[in-house]
Amino acid sequence: MKHLPKHLRPRWRYLAVGLESWPDVELDRRAFQREVWFAAQNLVGDAGSADLDGSVLHFRFADGLGEAIVRARRGEVERLRAVLATVSEVDGHPLGLVVRGVSGTVRACEEKYIRRPKVELDERSVAFASAERPAVVRDHRVDVRLSDGRVGATALDIDTREN
Amino acid sequence: MYEGVHAYPDGDATVARLARTAADYGYDGLVVRNHGDAQAEYDAAAIADAYGVDVVSGIEIRVDDASRASGLVGNYRSKVDVVCVHGGALNRFAVEQPAVDVLAHPMRDGDVNHVLARAAADNGVHLEFNFGRVLRTVGGQRVTALRGLRKLRELVDHYDVPYVVTADPSSHLELRAPRELRAVGETIGFDPPDIEAGLRAWGELAARNRGRRAETFIEPGVRIDEHEEDE
Repeated sequence: MKHLPKHLRPRWRYLAVGLESWPDVELDRRAFQREVWFAAQNLVGDAGSADLDGSVLHFRFADGLGEAIVRARRGEVERLRAVLATVSEVDGHPLGLVVRGVSGTVRACEEKYIRRPKVELDERSVAFASAERPAVVRDHRVDVRLSDGRVGATALDIDTREN
Repeated sequence: MYEGVHAYPDGDATVARLARTAADYGYDGLVVRNHGDAQAEYDAAAIADAYGVDVVSGIEIRVDDASRASGLVGNYRSKVDVVCVHGGALNRFAVEQPAVDVLAHPMRDGDVNHVLARAAADNGVHLEFNFGRVLRTVGGQRVTALRGLRKLRELVDHYDVPYVVTADPSSHLELRAPRELRAVGETIGFDPPDIEAGLRAWGELAARNRGRRAETFIEPGVRIDEHEEDE
């Protein structure tokens, strides 16, 4: 197939997205892409979805933290941003999501906004709400498992005396 | 910009975790407005130190009858910076109380009409545009929420009622950045600057009430000032 002449090709913008969930949640590109498309369809309908594009180009997610690059047609960035804000869960797991920045090329987007700091993951028990509880510690984040669910905390919330 | 949050044990994240995420997302502060029966314990100064986010004390009063609510409003007015009332059955009560700062989610289990909107404007009670169900539900529930937001928006516009905007997060995962809320607002028919004004309004309420709770405050317009010595 012939490429379109340059002035007729769609202009894209690339949104760098930061993702967060509970540390044991597994999430792949397909699941995330599906949620983005569903969210678009639910918020702006079929016509709006077609205008947005919303393809997930780059995806990485491990130990409850990740990032993605999502493509939007130029001029539709704010609408895609709104759609992304309504992606509240994937496969029934709650998902925290933030748009870190917008670039005109995938490469610029990766270089500017996708940082991959090595996050040490540590599973140990911590003192939280006057009891010893299992938790996953990632830098300042401490995700504590309670008998009836989970709670997100930070190093400030746990008793730091060595167990 | 500020956000009004429910923290552990009312939600799934501690105040510190919400503050850490809020700082990352570009917020200046949080109003912790747990319901009265699930108060959070936190050290606002330590959190502000660690993450650079202003943590404002608050409460969301949730009771069945207006007389008990009235007692609680009086009680908490002097203890916390931002007093919210859980909307629904208490809508009428809340808008008639100048001591109430925010009527939370007035359209979720209740309704607001022109009479209540005017009363809220007269008493300076902020009505809340709650985006919680727009962000986290789909289908019928979301349609109902959108319909409510639209009605509230028209009333707030017409009677010039003060308002706040919130994503109503009860964990760090439900928090959304100001720009995202702005985009969502634009998509559902709000004017984007109004969304920012609604997020700033939390901070303005906090600043005003902190001034009022200071010991030098006597009444609006009257405060004890430093005495200047004459030479």
